[in-house]
Amino acid sequence: MKYLIFDAGPIISLAMSGMLPIIEKLKGVFDGEFILTPHVKREVVDRPMKIKKFKLEAMQVQDMIERGIFKMSSSVVSDEKLEAETKKLLKITNGVLRTTQTGEKIEIIHGGEAACLAFSKLCGASNVIVIDERTTRMLTEAPKSLEKMMEKKLHTPLDAQLSLLDELKDFRFIRSAELLFVAHKKGLISMKDGKELLDALLYGVKFKGCAISSKEIEDMKKLV
Amino acid sequence: MKEAGNILRILRKTKQFVKEDNAHELKGLSNQTIHSATISQDADNIVVAVLVYSLGKVLERDHYRDMDGWAEFYNSLIKNLGLAVKSLEKVAQNGHDSAEPNLKNARIYLGRIRNSLNKIEGNLGQYIKDVFMKAGINKAFKLYEHGLSTEKTAELLGVSLWDMASYIGQSHIGDSKAAITMPAAARVKIAEEIFG
Repeated sequence: MKYLIFDAGPIISLAMSGMLPIIEKLKGVFDGEFILTPHVKREVVDRPMKIKKFKLEAMQVQDMIERGIFKMSSSVVSDEKLEAETKKLLKITNGVLRTTQTGEKIEIIHGGEAACLAFSKLCGASNVIVIDERTTRMLTEAPKSLEKMMEKKLHTPLDAQLSLLDELKDFRFIRSAELLFVAHKKGLISMKDGKELLDALLYGVKFKGCAISSKEIEDMKKLV
Repeated sequence: MKEAGNILRILRKTKQFVKEDNAHELKGLSNQTIHSATISQDADNIVVAVLVYSLGKVLERDHYRDMDGWAEFYNSLIKNLGLAVKSLEKVAQNGHDSAEPNLKNARIYLGRIRNSLNKIEGNLGQYIKDVFMKAGINKAFKLYEHGLSTEKTAELLGVSLWDMASYIGQSHIGDSKAAITMPAAARVKIAEEIFG
């Protein structure tokens, strides 16, 4: 079994680009399950269901859950276990950076992102986390860069206990952009093909919140 | 309220700049609050950041002053800013003894500024509510820009991730070199491997 664990961001980027059906097509060629944690479901279904502007997209995601395109994490890991691991990870991640002057901890990530990491740790199978926002990725893949960036933005020195992150080094992340890349390469997008389509897909999700640079998009286009 | 002294300073300046009709300084003042809000994540600090930024935006729009309800809003603004400042001054003067009721009062007065919009008939109330709503998204984006995660910022500001997504997408945040933590080819490889 393999798992693709979805954070809220990629579902939002893809929904707002009209690309939710691609998730269903990708599921058709994936030998595993697409997972949503309860935190993520709250952000992509329960909350937007109450906002008229986003209700249609929320209903579409709800429908995908009901049809089994997305599986809830509780079918693999109990909510209690997931919650306990999520709290543990939040304690670690939100204890890494402190201000040098006051020693105050900076809470960087939220339960939604931490629950994706927690499921990844607990599921006991090959998995990749799909996450569009940069902070969680930076925290595990390049924590020193995150520290430097925050010091610059906050105009204050920070103390980082990066050793706390040692157990978080093995997570693997992709974004909605890589999902679309795979879908395009596998011929799952039924539009006139070619590099223009890939360009449109990648910039489409970039402008809907996926943290990807123009340089990365240009590099990806060369891989086709 | 973790930083009553700092909030008092900001509100005094806010009142001054509103009276001087200085939208530019108000927006600068709002930016100052974001650095401390990123660290403290104090709800009051964030409320003030949104309020100050919104007032900067409102004052920029000259035509609002000709609309029905402007005087009502403006008078409520000046009155409640003054009362919030007085409450926080009491905290500063009396210290811990009377801190809690005065902090509570300050929150009530700040809340009344937004609540006053419900009493305005016509379009102005809705226009200013929209300004406040967009200011919330703007401040959430600023916290994300400062390094907090999207969900953390959405929680702090009480805004939806859906609203934030387009805002983030229209910014240059994804283009910063620091955010590129892996070569594009390596991340594509992860995706291709998991799909087999």
